[in-house]
Amino acid sequence: MIKIQLVDDEANILSALKRLLRPQGWEIHGFTDVEEALGSLREHNYAVIISDYQMPTADGVTYLQFAKQRQPDAVRLVLSAHGDRNSMIKAINQAEVYRFLSKPWDEHEIVAAIKSAIDLHLLRAENRHLLKQVQHQQTLIRAREQELLRLEQENPGITRVMRDDDGSVLLDDDEPR
Amino acid sequence: MPHTDMSEREQLSARLEQANRQLLQSEKMAAIGQLAAGVAHEINNPVGYVYSNLQSLETYLGDLFRLTDAIDSADSVADLQSIKRNIDYDFIRTDLGDLLAESREGIERVRKIIAAMKDFSYVEDEAFKLANLHQGIETTLNVVNNELKYKAEVVRDFGDLPDIECILSQLNQVVMNLLVNAAHAIEGFGRITIRTRQDNDQVILEVEDNGKGIAEEHLTRIFEPFFTTKPVGKGTGLGLSLSFNIIEKHNGRMDVHSTPGQGTCFRISLPVRQPATEDKP
Repeated sequence: MIKIQLVDDEANILSALKRLLRPQGWEIHGFTDVEEALGSLREHNYAVIISDYQMPTADGVTYLQFAKQRQPDAVRLVLSAHGDRNSMIKAINQAEVYRFLSKPWDEHEIVAAIKSAIDLHLLRAENRHLLKQVQHQQTLIRAREQELLRLEQENPGITRVMRDDDGSVLLDDDEPR
Repeated sequence: MPHTDMSEREQLSARLEQANRQLLQSEKMAAIGQLAAGVAHEINNPVGYVYSNLQSLETYLGDLFRLTDAIDSADSVADLQSIKRNIDYDFIRTDLGDLLAESREGIERVRKIIAAMKDFSYVEDEAFKLANLHQGIETTLNVVNNELKYKAEVVRDFGDLPDIECILSQLNQVVMNLLVNAAHAIEGFGRITIRTRQDNDQVILEVEDNGKGIAEEHLTRIFEPFFTTKPVGKGTGLGLSLSFNIIEKHNGRMDVHSTPGQGTCFRISLPVRQPATEDKP
């Protein structure tokens, strides 16, 4: 199940978002408290984290920076009522956010942004999975090659198979049975 | 000769009075300008969720109409029941109440902010009238809430106050100056206490913060026009001097106690009734 974390000091914002996103079938965790949101990063793996920009105890960019350390794979979004240039620059440069959304928001806009963030998250996860698979396969291949080399060194020619014209395998007569 | 002298002086003092009024108004506008960005934020939050809730409401209504329209077309009660389950009727039913209550709360907040801004921008309201100081403080808090809530917890320590004879919009401006200054003095997150008391025929208003305090060499200068320690563009240096003028005009007193590193307390005392002789012509 795709898990999404929402952080906003205003409870009504959280319930409006939960309401709006409910038809999408994502598991949504809302937090008004930054400390609690940070704590839940230990318990859940989020695909997307959406944070308010201005909050009483910590600003959204600081929170997302922490979140990035704890869950680098979660895609980060800012939802802000405060669209000035400085806050955007901070969000992009420091928290490396994927999207900067503004309040008031539009259903299509926010759903599309989250969907594309989820896609990015899944793509990255798949990438990582494939990379692991490739690395695993490469170590297997390398081990096999080394074994072949070792055999060839001990018994030169052992790794080569001699065949007749019709394809049947030729066994050296000198070889002990 | 003395006659022309007099009229000249009168003319000059009328011009001075006029200039003072303009200065007061421009300081008010500058302060409001600084607050405007904050107010936009404060309004965008409730507008944000109310707008979002309206979109959810539209979805809910679509679902509910699907059910009611089916009353005519459905073959059996079982069909209707299946639609009802399908649209998650029980959830919609309980959530609608919350949706409406939260949205109403949002609209109410916007209304309050707008009303507070209006209270602030009165220009012509120059007459002394009986007014409730606590109401003025609440109005002011509504306007500056955004400046404060990320900086400090606001504690209201209100006593019983009679209505006082004052120009409330001007006192609001004084309170706003003190609150914004208090917030600026706080590094990190602090506390601002607003205290009111009656003391015989005076009312006392205190605004106290636990911020960085005012250096002793600045303490004697803070009421001077254009004196500011804030960075360029942050303060006009007029806030406290105009506040001082306003309080003087109300036949009140304003003083300050500050301990660097511990905080600052501004104390204002105002007469409940303006002395009759000082009444404006």
